[in-house]
Amino acid sequence: MPPLLEAKELSKHYGSTIALDSVDFQVVEGITGLLGPNGAGKSTAIKLFLGLLRPTSGSAELMGQRPYESVESRARLGYMPEHDCLPPAVAASEFLTHMAQVSGLPPAQARTRAADTLRHVGLDEERYRPIGEYSTGMKQRAKLAQALVHDPVLVLLDEPTSGLDPGGREEMLELIRRTGSEFGISILLSSHLMGDVESICDRIIVLDAGLVTEQGEVSSFTGETETIYIDVDERRDELVAALIDRGIEATTDGFSVVVQKASDEQYDLIRDAVVDAQARLRRMAPRRHGLADIFRSNAE
Amino acid sequence: MTEAQGEVFDLGYRRYEGPREGRMRARKALWVNGVRTALGIGRPLGAKVIPAFLFIAVMIPAVIVSMVATQPNVDVIRHDGYYQIVSMILILFSAIIAPELLCPDRRDGVISLYLVRPMTTTDYVAARWMAFLTVTLGIVLAGQIVLFVGLVLAATEPLEYMKDNWLDVPRFMLAGLVVAAFTTAIPLAVSAFTTRRAYATSIIMGLFIISLPVAGILSLCGEDETVAVQGGKETVVTQKCEPATGDAAKWYALLAVGQVPSFVNDLIFPGQTDEGIFKEFSLVVAELPDAVPIGWYLILTIGPGLALLWRYRRISV
Repeated sequence: MPPLLEAKELSKHYGSTIALDSVDFQVVEGITGLLGPNGAGKSTAIKLFLGLLRPTSGSAELMGQRPYESVESRARLGYMPEHDCLPPAVAASEFLTHMAQVSGLPPAQARTRAADTLRHVGLDEERYRPIGEYSTGMKQRAKLAQALVHDPVLVLLDEPTSGLDPGGREEMLELIRRTGSEFGISILLSSHLMGDVESICDRIIVLDAGLVTEQGEVSSFTGETETIYIDVDERRDELVAALIDRGIEATTDGFSVVVQKASDEQYDLIRDAVVDAQARLRRMAPRRHGLADIFRSNAE
Repeated sequence: MTEAQGEVFDLGYRRYEGPREGRMRARKALWVNGVRTALGIGRPLGAKVIPAFLFIAVMIPAVIVSMVATQPNVDVIRHDGYYQIVSMILILFSAIIAPELLCPDRRDGVISLYLVRPMTTTDYVAARWMAFLTVTLGIVLAGQIVLFVGLVLAATEPLEYMKDNWLDVPRFMLAGLVVAAFTTAIPLAVSAFTTRRAYATSIIMGLFIISLPVAGILSLCGEDETVAVQGGKETVVTQKCEPATGDAAKWYALLAVGQVPSFVNDLIFPGQTDEGIFKEFSLVVAELPDAVPIGWYLILTIGPGLALLWRYRRISV
């Protein structure tokens, strides 16, 4: 079975500007995050896989086919753009029925799929209201619904949490997580918000200045570090002193006491220091890498 | 306390295993959507007013002629003059509806969803044009059919009338296609270059309306009346004046953009009297070889079609 998306020595130039420079990567089943700063080449990559652009060299394949040569290959692809793309005067159910037909579904099946999809994204009650009356969160869900209405194998989401408040963002991320795990639809999520990607993606591809700088499982980038964070209610200074007495280098960072380059045998010493300092322990855990560290190390 | 009578089951997400009809279904869906948009079906009441007004406006001449035709010694318009009577109404309709078909898709960003579906830019443009053509052609042909039926019923010998005039039917169908293709092409092309419907409508109306007096000044000349005094007696001498542009006048008449389909219409109905309100243009253009108005018509229909396609192939989504 071919990968869902595959870039083979893929390059795209706009005049003298190089948007993508001979990149190779694959998107397989599951939720994949496409990360990168503005101008990294994320949007260009998405447009190449959607068939809206032709590569300068190399190829962008969608399930083994080149979408810019065969539009039929897009029948099993969904796309949720970042920008507004919904007609305000039309009811969501009518719009989704129409988009399902434009994706190739017969009218009767399109109506059923539209109703089902709106229920899945939580717009069942509002499906007959004009989209222009929706809140930002509802519009984002309607945008996701139109990308799912024809039951695609893969859906490309471009900044799906853009413009949402924290509550709406959490709901959208949960919906995307369900789409990937419960509905079985693979996702390529383009975002500059590392928290979003870290919380729901299985894999990531990091683009920077038209090059792939990192790719792999999210867990491989978020492993444990040698830094231990010790959260205590009070007596932090006494704890730091007790640690230093035992030959352990320690500092404070906000409400935490931080021990750098901790080894396994030091855990017992840390425990003893907490007891001696009479500090009430709340939490003690090694810090994990965050995806932000990737960009920090790349910048360095 | 009542016992539970039923249970609601959450069936969860179900995969779609039914037919996928690809590009043909996509084209058809867009065509149907375009026809509904043009007629205002499934839209607020205001969107239905213009198509309803157009339908009534093109029917009125046909119905009146059908009623008047039963009166003896009354000159009535026939199929050859009908399109000239309704041409301005069609242009008004096109100027309002064409932007409705194209502008909102780009203004609201829906175009970015269409162009990633299993269809090409050409499919999108062709489906929109075909939808508009279908509605316009349906409306003009409906008027011609009512006119034909009216003339048949008004004839003293209906069967004889049909026998003598059956050729009018294929002619008005061809002429209807000529008119509908023309009145949809330019308005759609103009609408492809702006997202504001009001701008598009104004430009289209301006193009058709302003071209008329411009072409009139350059190509037409009314009859001059001069009073001559001969032997102390005044007599009125009427003489036809020459247009200021001389022999070139017949070429300048082609600038009456809204009348171009009528020039082709005159060739489809050869030898019949031109009854329209803009007959002066037709009489002047008739001096040109037949290939000229036909070629000009094709340029003004295919040209905007190509401009429309060119524009959409360069749209960035």
